[in-house]
Amino acid sequence: MTLRAWLPALLSLPGVMIFTLFCLLPLVAVLAGAFEGGGSAFGRLFADPVFWNGLQGTLLLGTLAPLFSLVVGTAVAMALARFAPRMRMAALVAVSLPLTFSGLIIAYGFILLLGRSGVIPQLLAGLGLDPAVTGAFIYSPAGLGLAYSYYLVPRVVLIMLPAIRGFEANQIAAARSLGAGPLRAFAEVMLPQIVPSLIAAFALCAAVAIGAYGTALALVGTQINILPLVLYSRISEGTSDLPAAAAASLILVAICTAVVALAEVFRPAARS
Amino acid sequence: MRIIAVAYFLFLAAPMVLLVVGAFGESWSNTLFPTGFTLGWFVEVAADPSFRRAFITSLQVVALTCIANVLVGVPLAWAIHSAARRRVRMAARIAVLVPVAMPELVLAFGFILVFSSDTLPWLGSFWLLVAGHVVLTLPYTLTTLLADLEQSRLSVYDQVAATLGGGFPGRMVDIILPLLAPSLMSACLTVAALSIGEFQLSNLIAGFLSRTYPIVLLQAFYGATGFACAATVVLLVLAALSALGNAMTGRLAAKEA
Amino acid sequence: MALQFDQVSYRYPGSIQGVTDISLKIGDGELVALIGASGSGKSTLLRLLCGFAAPDRGQVRIDGEDVSPAPPERRKLGVVFQDYALFPHMRLWENVAYPLKVRGMARDARQTRACEMLARVGMAGREQDRPDLLSGGQRQRVALARALVFGPRGLLLDEPLSALDAGLRAEMRDEIQRVQRQAGIATLLVTHDQEEALSIADRVAVMRDGRIVQIATPHEVYDRPAEAWVAAFVGQSNLWPGTVAASGRVETALGPFTCDTGPRPKGERVTLLVRPERVIPGAGPINGLTGTATADRFLGPVRRLDLSVPGGTVKVETHLPGLVRDITIPPDAIRLLPAEASLSTAV
Repeated sequence: MTLRAWLPALLSLPGVMIFTLFCLLPLVAVLAGAFEGGGSAFGRLFADPVFWNGLQGTLLLGTLAPLFSLVVGTAVAMALARFAPRMRMAALVAVSLPLTFSGLIIAYGFILLLGRSGVIPQLLAGLGLDPAVTGAFIYSPAGLGLAYSYYLVPRVVLIMLPAIRGFEANQIAAARSLGAGPLRAFAEVMLPQIVPSLIAAFALCAAVAIGAYGTALALVGTQINILPLVLYSRISEGTSDLPAAAAASLILVAICTAVVALAEVFRPAARS
Repeated sequence: MRIIAVAYFLFLAAPMVLLVVGAFGESWSNTLFPTGFTLGWFVEVAADPSFRRAFITSLQVVALTCIANVLVGVPLAWAIHSAARRRVRMAARIAVLVPVAMPELVLAFGFILVFSSDTLPWLGSFWLLVAGHVVLTLPYTLTTLLADLEQSRLSVYDQVAATLGGGFPGRMVDIILPLLAPSLMSACLTVAALSIGEFQLSNLIAGFLSRTYPIVLLQAFYGATGFACAATVVLLVLAALSALGNAMTGRLAAKEA
Repeated sequence: MALQFDQVSYRYPGSIQGVTDISLKIGDGELVALIGASGSGKSTLLRLLCGFAAPDRGQVRIDGEDVSPAPPERRKLGVVFQDYALFPHMRLWENVAYPLKVRGMARDARQTRACEMLARVGMAGREQDRPDLLSGGQRQRVALARALVFGPRGLLLDEPLSALDAGLRAEMRDEIQRVQRQAGIATLLVTHDQEEALSIADRVAVMRDGRIVQIATPHEVYDRPAEAWVAAFVGQSNLWPGTVAASGRVETALGPFTCDTGPRPKGERVTLLVRPERVIPGAGPINGLTGTATADRFLGPVRRLDLSVPGGTVKVETHLPGLVRDITIPPDAIRLLPAEASLSTAV
C-alpha cells in the first residue's frame, strides 16, 4: 500500500528534478539578479532609450505579426475545413512543417526569396523597381513580421481548424433563412463563436513573436530594435551591467507570461 | 478564402523550394535562379571539419534528448495522469506552459547566471546543453502523452491487467508502453526535430567544442550562397523527415483506434 | 400564401443525384408532409425551397411569385432545421428575436415579441437561458418560435422530431400541429417517419428516386397507394404478384382469391395488397387459407404473426389471443395495384 501511494511521486521525481534545476533555478537566478541592489537595475534600464526603443519595436512586432497571421491562418483553416479528409490531412502535414523548422531555415529562405538579390526583388526589377529598395523590405520591421508569420500561421491554423470544424454549418443556413445576408450571418453567428479560439491563437503567436530572436538575428544581425535582440547583444557581448540585463529579461518574461495567461483563460472555451 | 489559401501555400513552399534549388545550383549571383547543377556544395559541407563536428554533436544531443524524454516523460505523464487531482493537473499545466512563457533567450541568460558560478561550473559543457534541450522539449512529450492517456482507454486496460494479477512493473512493460508506443514515437520525432534545429538556447550556452549544427550554420550565411543553401537544406530535410514520420505514425495510430 | 414547385428539376453538380419534374402546391394553412427513404430527394426539395440551391429547370414560387433567383434571406420562410441550429452564444429570447433584429426592429419591441412567441410555445420563464441548458423537446419549441416570430410566408420543418426520444415525439407532433394551425401558414414537413407524416399532415407527398410518386391525403396513401412501393413504404403490408383470371378472380402463388377486379382484362398482371390488420383469424366462406405461425410477436395492443401457408407467407395483425391456423381475407380487404417488376426493392 505504501509503495502504491508513493509511486506517482517516485515516478515524477526525475522530471520534477530536471524542471527545478534547469528551468526554475535559472528563472529564480534572473529574478534575483534583477532585484540585486534593491531594484536600482530597473531605474538604470528605464533611463536607457535603447530599452524603450526595443520595447516599442517588440510590442509592435508582437501585435502586428500575430494579427496578420491570424487573418491568413483563419482563412487557410476555413479553406481546409472544406477539404476532403484525406486532402486535409496532407495539407495539415505541409502546414505544420514550419513548426519544427529552425528559425535559421526560415531566415535564409527569406533572404533567397526577398533579399537584395532575391527572386522577388529581381522579378520586380523587371517592372522598373529598384532591387536596392524592394530588397530592403525583408530587413525592415514589416519584413521581419512577414518572416515571423511563416511559423505563426501554422499555429493559428492548428488552433482555428478544430473551432471552425466544430462550428455547426447549419447555423449559417438558419441565420440566412431568418433574413441575414452572408456577411451578417458570418459576423453575428459564426464570429462570436470562434472568438475565444481567435484570442487564444493570437496570444500564443504574440508570446512566440515577442520572445524569439533567432530569425531576427540571422536576418538582420542586431541592427533592428526589438527587445530580445537588445538583450541578446548585451548578454553575448558580456555586459558589465548584469542586473540591468536581468531586469530586461524579467520584463520580457512578464510580457510573455501575461500573454500566455490570456491564451490560457480562453483555452477551455476554445476547446468545448 | 480559396485565394488566400492558395497564396499561403505558395508562400509556404517558396523558401523551401529556393533553398533546395540553391543547394544544387552551381553559381547564383545576380540571376533569377542559379545556373548549372552540382552536388559540390554538399560535398563541401560534408568536408568542412567544423560542420562535421557540429553535425555529430547535434546528433548526439538529439539522441540523448530523445532518450531522456522517454525515460523521464513516460513516468511523469503516467504519474500526472493517474494522480488526476486538480492541483496536480494544474501544476502540470503550468509546468508545460512555463517554457512557452519563458523565452529561450531568458532561459539561456538564467543558465549563464546559474551555471557559471563556482558551485555549478557547468556552462559550456555538453551535458548542460543536453539538459537545456530536454527542458525545452519535455513539454511537447508531456502534452502528447497526456492527450493520448486522456483519450485512450489505457487506464481501463491497466485496471483489467491489475485485476488479472499484473504487478506494476509488468503492467508498465506489457500494457502501458505498447499502447503508448505510437504517441511516444510521434513525440520523439517532434522532439528530435525541435532539438536538431534548436538555436536560441544553444547559441548562448554551448561551449566552442560543443557547438551544435545550427550555430555553425549561422556563420555560413555570410559565405557563398550555394554552400549556405546546402548547409541549410541538411537541416530542412531532417525536420521534414521527422514531420513525415510523424504523419505516418499518426496514420498508424488512427488506424489502430 | 402558398408554396409551389412548378416542374422543378435539379441535379447536384457532377452526380446523378437530384430531383426530377417536381410539381407540388401547398395551400394557405395546409400542412403537407414529404416522405421517402433517405436519398430520395426530400432534403434537395427543401434546399431548393429555402434557396440554398437553384433549380436547373422549373420554378419555385411563393404566393405565385417566382423566387428561384432569390437568396435564402429574401424568401421570408421560417425553417426548423433537423438539429434546430439554435445559436449557442445567444439567449433564448435573442435567438427568437434574431430575425426581428435583422429586420431592424428596435430592441425593446423585439424582446417583447420574442417573449410572447416563447410563451406561445410553452417556454415562458426561460427567456434568459442559453440553448445548451435545454432538452431536445425544448430546443424544438424554441426553434419553432424563432421560425414563426417574423410572420414568414411559409414554414419548413426538416425532420423536426428525429432528434427526440420516442416518448416525446407524439407530444411534440401535436405541439407542431397546434402551433401550425394557430399560425395558419403553409407548411412543408420533411420526414422519413411515415407515422409522423400520416398523423399530422393534411396531405402526404411520397418521394422515390427524385420523383413524387403520389400526393394524397393520409387515408388515401394508406388505403389506395399508387404503387406497391408506396404500400410497402407506408405501414405494414402483404404484397403478392398475381394475374387476373376472370372478372372478380385473381390467381396467385397462394391460390385463387375473390376480389373486385374492376375493368381489368383477363390475363393482366397485378400486385395484390392486403394490410395485415384486415386479415381475419378463423375459417370463412371465401378466401380462406390455412397454415402454421412461424413467428408470433406480442406488441402490447396487437399481435403480429407470420403465417406460413402453401405458396408463401401471410402477415397477420390481430388483438385476439389463441392459436391461429385458419385465416380469411375479406374480398374488400384486397386492393389491386399495378404489377411491380421487383417487389424486393420495396422497403
